[in-house]
Amino acid sequence: MAKNDLIIRVAGEGGEGVVSTGDFVAAACARAGLEIYTFKTFPAEIKGGYAMYQVRTSPDRIYNQGDTFDVLCAFNGEAYEVNKHLLKPGTAFVYDYPGGDFEPDAIPEGVHAYPIPMSKTAKEMKSYRSKNMVAMGALSVLFNINEVTLKQVLTKKFGKKGEEILNFNLQAFEKGKELAMPLKKTDPWRVADATAPKDVIVISGNDAAGMGALLGGLEFFSAYPITPATEIAKYVATHLPKLGGTLIQAEDEIASIGQVLGASYAGKKSMTATSGPGLALMAEMLGMAFMSETPVMLVDVQRGGPSTGLPTKHEQSDLFLAIHGAHGDAPRIVLSVEDVKDCIDMTVDALNLAEEYQCPVLLLSDGSLAFSTQTVPRPNPADYTIVHRKMWDGEGTYARYKMTEDGISPMVNPGTPGGMHIATGLEHTESGAPSFKAETHEQMQAKRFGKIKPVVNRYKPTEVDGEGEADLGIITWGSTIGVAREAVARLRAEGYKVKGFYPKLMWPMPVEQYEAFAATCKKILVPEVNYQGQLSHFIRAETSIKPIPFTICGGLPFTPIQMMDRVKEII
Amino acid sequence: MSVAALHKVDLKPKDYKSEVSVVWCPGCGYHGILSSIYKSLAELGVDSSNLMAISGIGCSSRTPYFIKSYKMHTLHGRAGPVATGAQLAQPEQAVLVTGGDGDGFSIGGGHMPHMARKNVNLTYILYDNGIYGLTKGQYSPTSRPELKAYTTPYGGPDEPMNPLLYMLTYGATYVAQGFAGKPQLCAELIKGALEHKGFSYVNIFSQCPTFNSIDTVEFYRELVREVPEGHDTSNLGAAMELARRDAEGHAPIGLLYKVNRPTLDERLAAIVTKVGGHKGYDINKIIDLASP
Ligand SMILES: Cc1ncc(C[n+]2csc(CCOP(=O)(O)OP(=O)(O)O)c2C)c(N)n1
Ligand code: SF4
Ligand SMILES: [Mg+2]
Repeated sequence: MAKNDLIIRVAGEGGEGVVSTGDFVAAACARAGLEIYTFKTFPAEIKGGYAMYQVRTSPDRIYNQGDTFDVLCAFNGEAYEVNKHLLKPGTAFVYDYPGGDFEPDAIPEGVHAYPIPMSKTAKEMKSYRSKNMVAMGALSVLFNINEVTLKQVLTKKFGKKGEEILNFNLQAFEKGKELAMPLKKTDPWRVADATAPKDVIVISGNDAAGMGALLGGLEFFSAYPITPATEIAKYVATHLPKLGGTLIQAEDEIASIGQVLGASYAGKKSMTATSGPGLALMAEMLGMAFMSETPVMLVDVQRGGPSTGLPTKHEQSDLFLAIHGAHGDAPRIVLSVEDVKDCIDMTVDALNLAEEYQCPVLLLSDGSLAFSTQTVPRPNPADYTIVHRKMWDGEGTYARYKMTEDGISPMVNPGTPGGMHIATGLEHTESGAPSFKAETHEQMQAKRFGKIKPVVNRYKPTEVDGEGEADLGIITWGSTIGVAREAVARLRAEGYKVKGFYPKLMWPMPVEQYEAFAATCKKILVPEVNYQGQLSHFIRAETSIKPIPFTICGGLPFTPIQMMDRVKEII
Repeated sequence: MSVAALHKVDLKPKDYKSEVSVVWCPGCGYHGILSSIYKSLAELGVDSSNLMAISGIGCSSRTPYFIKSYKMHTLHGRAGPVATGAQLAQPEQAVLVTGGDGDGFSIGGGHMPHMARKNVNLTYILYDNGIYGLTKGQYSPTSRPELKAYTTPYGGPDEPMNPLLYMLTYGATYVAQGFAGKPQLCAELIKGALEHKGFSYVNIFSQCPTFNSIDTVEFYRELVREVPEGHDTSNLGAAMELARRDAEGHAPIGLLYKVNRPTLDERLAAIVTKVGGHKGYDINKIIDLASP
C-alpha cells in the first residue's frame, strides 16, 4: 500500500503500558488529521500475559488492521518471541535493550534494529511505570510521530492528575527521544505529516454501539457482563442517566432480555448487549418477542465459540444462531456491522427497525471491532432520525394484533384508558385471545412474517464494490468486509477483474441484490471467520449462487494479503 | 406497588373480571385466589388501565387473562424479569405477578432472589399447590416426598423448599402466606401487598384436586395456623422463626414481615438525579468526550 500507510505494533506484558502507548500514538495521529485503525489482542488472564496493540495510520481511509506490522516495538522477551517470525526484511524493530529481560537472537538481515534501554531508563528514573513513555519518545523520533499532538494528548491525559505527574511523564518522553536521536535511521517508515485536523472522534466498536444507542433514543438497557460485549453496558451505564434513562444489571441474560421485553411493552425503547453464550440463553425470549410483536434490540458481539470457546478472540460464528436461534418459525431482522462507524449508525438503525417492525432486531458485531478504535467523522445528532412505533389513535375498539395492510398493528402504552390488552406468547387472535385453530396460526404466522418482508426494499445498507463484469466476486460480511475492500482494490491495481458485495442486512436476505451481483461474476468467493461457512450456507439455501467458501477460525481476522492469495489461486 | 399513585375508581369486584372465561378445574383452589384478587383490587379502587398483570406459564399463570388490565402472558419462569422491566418503565403503575410453585421456584428460581433483594416495586402472588398442574401432575419444589406423582411413582426423592424462609432470606420487604380456603384472609393479604411499596410476596396454599392427591383442602386446614396476635411484623428473626414452622409442623398464615426500604426504581431515579440527567441534556457533550 501507499508508503505513508504505516503499521506500528506495540507488544509486551499486559499492564506494562502497552495499551496506553497504543492509545496515545493513535490519538496523536488522529489529532494530526490522519486516519487510524487499531487492533488489539488481550490476554485471557486478568493480570499479566501477552498483550498487543497495533496502530495503523494513513492520510487515507483505512479499512482493516492490515497484513502485518512495519514497525515492532517489543517491551519484553515474550513480545519478541511471539513476533520474531514476523520480523521480515524491511521491518523496523525497536526493543528494550540493554537492561531489558531479553537479548534477541541474531537479527535477520534487512531488519532495521533500534535497541532502546527502556526498562533501564525507567529504573534510573525510579519509576517502572514510565517505561512506555521512554518507548514513546523513541518511537516519535524514529518514525515521525507528531510530537506536538503527542504532547497534547499526554497533557490531556496526565494534566488531570496534576502538574507533577505530567512533568514526570514528559521527562521520560524526552529521555526516550534523546536515546533515539543518535541512532542512525536506516528504514523508510514514517508516519505521514500532519494535515488539516478533521472533525473526528476516536472510539472503539463497543463504545460506538453505546453512543449509537444514545443517538437512537434509547431509554432502558438491561445488561449481563460478558466478554467482549461488556464495554457497551459500561458506556451506557455512564452516559444514559445523563439523558434521563437507566441501565440495570440483571441476574443473567434470560433476565436481561426479559426485562427489555417488559420495558418495551410498557413503552420504552429498550435494548441489551451480549456475546454468543448470552445470545444462546436468550433464544426463547426472542421467540416470545416475535410472537408477541414486541420491539426488542440486542447487540451480539461475537467471540470464538462454541461453548466458552475463545472468549477474547475474534470469530464470526453466530449467524446461524442470530437468524434461526429460537424454537418454532421465529425469524428476526439481523444486521451486521463492518466497522466502528457502523457500530454507531447501525445501532440507531437497529433500534429504529425494532420499533418500526415490532420484532426482535439483532445487530452483529465481532471481537476484532469490539476493542478496535478508529477515526470516525464526529456524529451530528441532528443527522439521526429516531423512529417511534406505530401507536393506536384511540378510535374504536382496540385490538393489539389487528390485521392491517402492512401487517403492523398499532401499539398502546399501559395507562391508556381503553387500550387494555394482553401481550402473549400463546397463539392468539387479533384481540390477543388464545386460539389454536389452524387458520388463526396460519394467518398470524403470515402476518408476522409478512410484515418484515418489505425491510429488504426499504433498508438497503448493502454495498457493491466495482462495476461491470468480473472474473471473481467476493461476498463477505462483518468486519471481514474491510479486509475485502482492500484486497479488491489491490487486486484491481494488479490487473485482476474482481468485485465485492458487502451485505449488512443479513436477514431477511436481499436475495435479488445477491443474484444481481452474482450474475456479473464468473465465480463467487465467500471469506468468513467461522468453520462451517455460515454465510455460504445461507447463500446456497436462499439463492441460486454456488459460492466457494473460504473459512478460517484461528481467532484472528483475515489479512488483505491472505484474501488476495486465495483469489489468485482460484480465479 | 404504587397503588397510592393510581387514579382511584369506584368499582365492584366483578368489574375486574375480563370477558375470558375461567378455565380451571372445578374444585381448584385458584378460583378462590382469583376472587380474592378481584376483591382486593375493588377495595383499593385500582384503575384497571394502570395495572399490569404479568405471568409465566402454568395453570396459575393463566390469571392475567381473567383480569381486566394491561397484561402479559410470558414464558415459563420468566414473569419476574419481564415484570421488572415493565415496572421500571412505568414506575407509576401497579404491577401484579401471578404464577405457580414450579414457575417461580423451579425454572424461575434464579430470578426470585434478585427481585426480592433489589426490592422491585411489584406484588408477586405465588399459587402454591405442591404440583405442576398444567403439565399434568409432576412433583414441584414444594411437593412433599410422600407425593406419588407422574415422574415420582414411588414418592419423591427431594426435600421440599420453604418459600417464606427463602423470601425472608433474600430481602423481600413484605412476606405473607394465605390459603385458598380462606378467601377473606387472602384478600386482606393481597390488599396489603398491593399497598406496600416494594417487593411484596404472598404465598398461597391451594389445592389441586386433579393432580395432587395428598395436599387436599382438609390437609391444608389442618396444616395452617394464623400468625399469632402480637407478632412483630418488623422483626425479621421472629418472621423467620414463624416461617420455620412450629414443633408440630404447622405453617403460619397471615402477614409475617413488612418493612420499608428504597425500591429499585427509586434508586435508579436517584442516579439520574445525581448526574443531573434529563431528557434535554445536550448529547454533544457526551460525543465530545471521544474527541482525540
Ligand atoms: C421452558 C419450558 N419448560 C417446560 C414447560 C412446561 N411447563 C409448563 S407449565 C409447567 C409447570 C407448571 O407448574 P406450576 O408452575 O407449579 O404451575 P401450576 O400449573 O401448578 O399452576 C411446565 C413444566 C414450558 N412451558 N416451558
Ligand atoms: S390441574 Fe390442578 S392447578 Fe390446574 S386447574 Fe386443575 S386443579 Fe387447578
Ligand atoms: Mg404448581
